[in-house]
Amino acid sequence: MVLSLRVLRPSVPTALRAVAVLVVALLVCLLARNLLLTPADATTASVPQNATMEAQLGIRFSRVAVVGDGGLVTVTYVVLDAEKAQQLQASQAHPPVLSSESRKGSTSRVSLMKQGHSLRAGQTYYLVYENTRGALRHGERVTITDGALRLAHVPVL
Amino acid sequence: MHPALRARARSLTAAGAIGALVSGVLLTTPHAASAAMSEGLACDTSSSGTFSLTASDGYVSTPDGNSIYMWSYGASSRGFQLPGPTLCVESGRTVTVVLHNSLPESTSIVFPGQRGVRANGAPAQPQFDDGGSLTSLVQAAAPGDGSVTYTFTAGSPGTYLYESGTDVSKQVQMGMYGALVVRPAGHPDQVNDRADSRFTADKDYVFLLSEVDPDVHLAVERNQPIDDSAYTARYFMINGRSMPDTLAPNGASWLPNQPYGAVVHIKPYDAATNPYPAAIRYLNAGTVNYPFHPHGSDERVVDRDGHALEGPNHEDLSFQKYDLDVGPGQTLDVLMDWRDVEHWNALTNPVPTKLPAITDQDLVGTDTWFSESPYLGTKNALPTSITSNNQCGEYYHIAHSHALEQATNYGATFGGMMTVFRIDPPNGCQAQ
Repeated sequence: MVLSLRVLRPSVPTALRAVAVLVVALLVCLLARNLLLTPADATTASVPQNATMEAQLGIRFSRVAVVGDGGLVTVTYVVLDAEKAQQLQASQAHPPVLSSESRKGSTSRVSLMKQGHSLRAGQTYYLVYENTRGALRHGERVTITDGALRLAHVPVL
Repeated sequence: MHPALRARARSLTAAGAIGALVSGVLLTTPHAASAAMSEGLACDTSSSGTFSLTASDGYVSTPDGNSIYMWSYGASSRGFQLPGPTLCVESGRTVTVVLHNSLPESTSIVFPGQRGVRANGAPAQPQFDDGGSLTSLVQAAAPGDGSVTYTFTAGSPGTYLYESGTDVSKQVQMGMYGALVVRPAGHPDQVNDRADSRFTADKDYVFLLSEVDPDVHLAVERNQPIDDSAYTARYFMINGRSMPDTLAPNGASWLPNQPYGAVVHIKPYDAATNPYPAAIRYLNAGTVNYPFHPHGSDERVVDRDGHALEGPNHEDLSFQKYDLDVGPGQTLDVLMDWRDVEHWNALTNPVPTKLPAITDQDLVGTDTWFSESPYLGTKNALPTSITSNNQCGEYYHIAHSHALEQATNYGATFGGMMTVFRIDPPNGCQAQ
C-alpha cells in the first residue's frame, strides 16, 4: 500500500515572513555581540603581553583574578628584571591601576602586605588589590595602567 | 525528492538554523556578573555511605610559579586532587571506602578515631613481611590497580584526618591525606552533640594544614632515593594551596588539581539576625606544630581529635584561644564569631584613620598593613601610604601561621599558610 505523502504547503503571510527575518537578524546580531564580548574563558584565555611595558617595569603580568568572594583581586607577575621589578613592588603611592573594560570601575589600592624584600628573576610574585565596589568581575577584561604604559584586554579569572 | 518532502526539509533546516542561532546566543551570553564565587566546606557525601577513592599522581601549582609532583587520593569519578576529597558522614553510620591504587607502590588509608575499621572484611591491623618487618599500618592496595575496601562505623562527631598508613613519612609528605567530617546524627549544624556547638549552617570551613619539601617530591618523581636528613619544608599550605591562592574560590580554574579555597566569610554577631558562629576545622597533616591564628579574634575550641571538650558530667570545657597550636596528626574544631565590642560609629564613635601606632605598620620596610577602619559599611579616606581593603565596607582579618617561615613561599614573604577572614557589614555586602 502506498501512502500519500502529499502535504499542504502552509501559506505564510508576508508580514510573518518579515517577522521571521527580523528574528533571525536579531539572533545573528546577538550572537555576534556575544562572541565579541565573550567573557574570558577561564581555562584558555591568555594574558596579552606588552614588550615596552615589560622592558620598563621588568615584569610580565601573568594573571588577574577576583578572589576573596569578590572583595579582592590578585595580580601575579613574573619578574624579568629584578632591579626594575623591585621599584614597582616598592611603589606605595602608585601601583598599577586596574580598570574594567566593561564599566567605569577601577582599583588602585594594594590591600595586603606586599611580597618580598628581594625579588628573583623568573619567579612569580603577586599583589592583592581591594576590589573597590566590585570594580572588577570574573569573566571580564581589564586594562592595566602604569603611568603611560597600558596593557589592555587582560582576562579576569 | 517529493516537493512536500523538500518543503518539510527546508522547514526543518530553517528550524535547525534558528535553533542553532538561539543555542549560540544562549551559550555565548556573557555571564560575568552572575559567575558564582564559591566558598566554604565542599563535602563529598554518599547516601549509601560508600566512597570510591583512587590513589594517583599529579601536579599542583605554587604561587611562585613552581609545579610540584604529588600523590594524593582523588574521588574515582573525578581524578587527582590535593588534598583528598573531604568526606562528610554522620556519626554512627557504616562507611565504606573503596581504595584503588594507580601508584607505583602499595598504599593504604588509616582512619584514626573511627570504630571497628575492617579491610576486605578482616580487622584492619598492621602488616608484616616474612621477616617480621612492618610493611604497613593497615592492609594495603597493591600497585597496578590493586584495591582494598575499608569499612568502619563513623566515630564521635568532629573532624578527623585520613591518611596513608604505608611508608607513612614518604606518602603523607607526597600528599596522601584528606579530611573526614563526622556530623552529629540529626544535627548537621552542630560540631558535636552539644547544642552549644551549633554554627551557621553554611559557615563551615576546613583548614587542612600541610607542608611540602619539593626535593622529596623531585626525588620520587625521578625514582631517586630520598635524603631524609636533608628534609626542609619550603611550601606551607591550607587545603593544598598557599597564599595568595588560598584566597581563590573553590574550583578556581587556574588551580585545577587544588579545588578547595580557604576564605572564612561571615557577618558580625547579632542576637536576632546572626546568632551563631562559623565552624572552622583545623587539621595538621604535616610534621611540626602549626601555630595558626586570625589577627584580632579569639576562637573557641570545642573539639580536639573528634572529641567534644566536656567533663564527665557534660560540663563545658571549651575555651577561647588566640593562637591555635595544631600539632601533627591533630585536629581542632573551633567556633568563631566577630563582635563589634567597641560599637564603632562613623559619627558618634569614630575610629581615627591615621596610621595606628602598632608594630605591624612597618613589617615590610616602609610598607604598611592596616585593616581599614572597622565601621563595616563606612569607607573613610586614607593616606595613600596606608594599605586598605573595601569592596562594600567589609573588614578583613589576616589569618596565618605565626611561625613566620610557614607564612612564606619558598622563603619569600608573605605567602604559605596564610589567608583572610572576611567580615561583611550587618546588612550584607551591597557591592555595586
